[in-house]
Amino acid sequence: MAHLDPLSLLDDALRGAQADHVLLRWHHKTTRSVAVEKGRVDNAASNTYSGIGVRVLAHGSYGFASTDRPDRDAIRRAIDAATLAAKASARQRREKVAAPPLTQLAQGVYEADGARELRERPMEALLRLCLDAEAKTRAQSGIIQSATCGYSEIHEEKAIVSSDGARVITRVARPELRVFAIAAKNGEIQRGVETSGVTGGWQCLFTRGTAESMGERAAQKAIELLDAERPNGGRSVVILSPALVGMLVHEAVGHTVEADFVLAGSVARGRIGTRVASDFVTLEDSGRSEFLPGAGGQVDVDDEGVPTQRTTIIENGILKSYLHDRETAAHFGVAPTGNARAWEYDNEPLIRMRNTYIRPGQGTLEELIASTPDGWLLDGASNGQADANGEFMFGTHEARRIRNGKLGARMKGVNISGTAFEVLQSVDAVTSDFRWDLGSGHCGKGQPAKVDAGGPWLRCKVVLGGKEG
Amino acid sequence: MTHVPYDAQALGETLLARCERLIDMAKAAGAHEAEAFASASNGVSVKYEKGDLKLVSSDEGAVVGLRVFRDKRAGFASTNQSHDEALSACVRDALATASFAPAHEANVLPDALPWQRTVACSPEVARTDGELILELGAELLATAQARSAKIAIDGAAADVTRAVQAIANTRGIRGHESDGLVSLSLMGMAIDGADVGGMHYDSGVWRSLDKVRAAVRPMAHGMVDVCVGNLGSTNAHSYRGPVLFSADAFVDLFIAPIVAGCSALAVQRGRSPLAQKLLTAIANPRLTLRDDPTDQDLAGAAAFDREGVPARPFTLVQEGVLMGWMHNAHSAAVGKTVSTGHARGGARSVPALGPHGLVVSTGDGGDEQAMLRALGRGLYIERFSGTVDPTNGDFSGVAKSSRWIEGGAVSHSVKETLISGNALQLLQRIALVSSHSVLLGGTAKAPMVIVDGIDVTAG
Repeated sequence: MAHLDPLSLLDDALRGAQADHVLLRWHHKTTRSVAVEKGRVDNAASNTYSGIGVRVLAHGSYGFASTDRPDRDAIRRAIDAATLAAKASARQRREKVAAPPLTQLAQGVYEADGARELRERPMEALLRLCLDAEAKTRAQSGIIQSATCGYSEIHEEKAIVSSDGARVITRVARPELRVFAIAAKNGEIQRGVETSGVTGGWQCLFTRGTAESMGERAAQKAIELLDAERPNGGRSVVILSPALVGMLVHEAVGHTVEADFVLAGSVARGRIGTRVASDFVTLEDSGRSEFLPGAGGQVDVDDEGVPTQRTTIIENGILKSYLHDRETAAHFGVAPTGNARAWEYDNEPLIRMRNTYIRPGQGTLEELIASTPDGWLLDGASNGQADANGEFMFGTHEARRIRNGKLGARMKGVNISGTAFEVLQSVDAVTSDFRWDLGSGHCGKGQPAKVDAGGPWLRCKVVLGGKEG
Repeated sequence: MTHVPYDAQALGETLLARCERLIDMAKAAGAHEAEAFASASNGVSVKYEKGDLKLVSSDEGAVVGLRVFRDKRAGFASTNQSHDEALSACVRDALATASFAPAHEANVLPDALPWQRTVACSPEVARTDGELILELGAELLATAQARSAKIAIDGAAADVTRAVQAIANTRGIRGHESDGLVSLSLMGMAIDGADVGGMHYDSGVWRSLDKVRAAVRPMAHGMVDVCVGNLGSTNAHSYRGPVLFSADAFVDLFIAPIVAGCSALAVQRGRSPLAQKLLTAIANPRLTLRDDPTDQDLAGAAAFDREGVPARPFTLVQEGVLMGWMHNAHSAAVGKTVSTGHARGGARSVPALGPHGLVVSTGDGGDEQAMLRALGRGLYIERFSGTVDPTNGDFSGVAKSSRWIEGGAVSHSVKETLISGNALQLLQRIALVSSHSVLLGGTAKAPMVIVDGIDVTAG
């Protein structure tokens, strides 16, 4: 299938389609991945997953179909299948959808930094990187029983053509590296984790340190956690690291302001223009990598062909905007924000975050710790979830007690919880530094999406799930 | 919508032929051993959002994954393209990787063993079309909405998926198997003025349309009742003591770390907390856990695993005693034993290791009301939203859709309530297991369980 011209192919397939709106997306995804554990290569793989997703609006209802065959006749059959699905579903759909209002749609070619350079790096170099990093992580200490190093990169090339004028090609590469260290002593096993995930090239992946240094940090964490105590639970003052600020804005706020979730009745419904956070909080979601390069969720053009932008969700504590695709933007009478994203060709675009963050404020972490009489410093993000009522939870890898402005020893991580807008109202300090820090994290909403999040260090009040008493 | 007749047998033969062709190409290009695994699916899905129909979609596609060994060096590639150029690229990529990957003595493929057909795509599921799926989805949504005016359906879905898997390798394994599943899911919350209750969801997977139709009403009513019950949530009380776990919460919190620790790879590589505990009591005798790929109620039922090894029932824990490790071909070669048929995964990745479908045995604790009475006072957790560290069993997370129990009955729903502890240590403190079990989204069957010694933190 060499020399495929996807735009011409989609143009040709679109010609003559009978529907209120047609969106065609050729989505060619290739991945390379390596995983090494305790000296054995568990995985060294190349994958191709490619095809065309077709979304049709007809009779006030949507239909979606896909084909893995990049030829005109197959795409036209998919258009027919999607049209039939839309017509069949129109009988059930109560609120009919009008064709999306005209808006600025992307044309041309958008290529993110690093895509070409990354593709040319040989698989052998990736394998060597993982073998070396894993071996060096294990060599850190006799207490380290095992280590794992995993590398993956996703190359995505998309061509998007719509019946109302989108005609664009995008290319992006997203490499990720994960290092795990397992420490064991006296029957106790602990794990240290370091990850990096970016949109960009090879150098960008290692902006914050080499694979070897990631292994060192992972090993050190695992060893220190062997002797760590579990913190006491309860409502507490905490300083959240940029990784945890990222989890907070993604889980606690970001999901509740996705406009599809808002329409279903999330806690953010009807709150535009009202105070939902303290003055210290300005929260944004952007398709670009603001402040620092490499944010993992960079998207130049979304999967409806809308150029992305920076969306201010909360400005100095006041809720300003939801996140939209073209359908919800029309419903709310605003411009689309470029948040429609699809994971693979056979997934329909959904409203998803991209890079979500709190803007930096003033002061340093040291000053923040010194001004905290009683609290916790929390770092290292694991999984998280949000609820319609704004209640969220997410895991932390490590906790350190703060007493009278001084940091104590490392303790085991805890899960924290709270109600989004109450926690944001409790924010009383935001530092001046900034970091993207979701690492290799992905968001799940029926289909995955590569997102990033981050911000400065931030102080607020949450509930810690620790020992009773 | 038009419906194209579905012929699983013919599709299976086509996929098997593609696998065999890929193996021939790999051998011709220099592979010493090769395995090709292909999967194809087609289906129709209906999705609802905001209580209204959002999208009807149909899809079909096939993927083939090729694993090669050359001088015990492994390489893997997959593609969803079926033309010659794509298959040649797949062979080339897999062999290129194998040319520089380090050799390992345990890079082996399993030999052929006879397996018995376990599931198949039934004629009625093969015939199920978009109209019927639309009808099922509409019925699910209407039943939920009729149950309470306070319910807001955030998302619902009905879909039919017909799948065929085929495998062939250079050790003589060759075969294919079809399956057909209809699934329903429902997610929402209750809203009463300014009070937005916590979300709840339920889902199920079935191989029979009669079972799907019978499940619509209980699923919709159960989900709505939990959502309405989530309204008016207030704080719980902090304590250390017994907690009643729903089947769902028990499996997420206590069964998941056992399964992770029973992986032979985890044991061999020093990351299993159960490594030294084979044939010892790791749990209270009330716990018996098995993996059962022959159980037709479970979506993971299958005749063979990802490497073509027969999938058979396997007991992990018998009355509290740890009985064995799950193996794939690689871990079995390392451990100088035979595969237990636990290679898992799809055509897009190398075989991993895991269970097919978990079954936790019931106990003598009676029904839900009896379990509530047995708890007396404390927390009942419907869903656990948190983290469990598979390397040591430490857990911490939020009790979702959960209730405070007083005098053996529900007092109120709770908010901002976290639990923590060590799941593997707390297995010894299983106090009571219900007499009934619940099918969890087609992935597991489990009862309700009371576990003592849990740290509960109220916000």
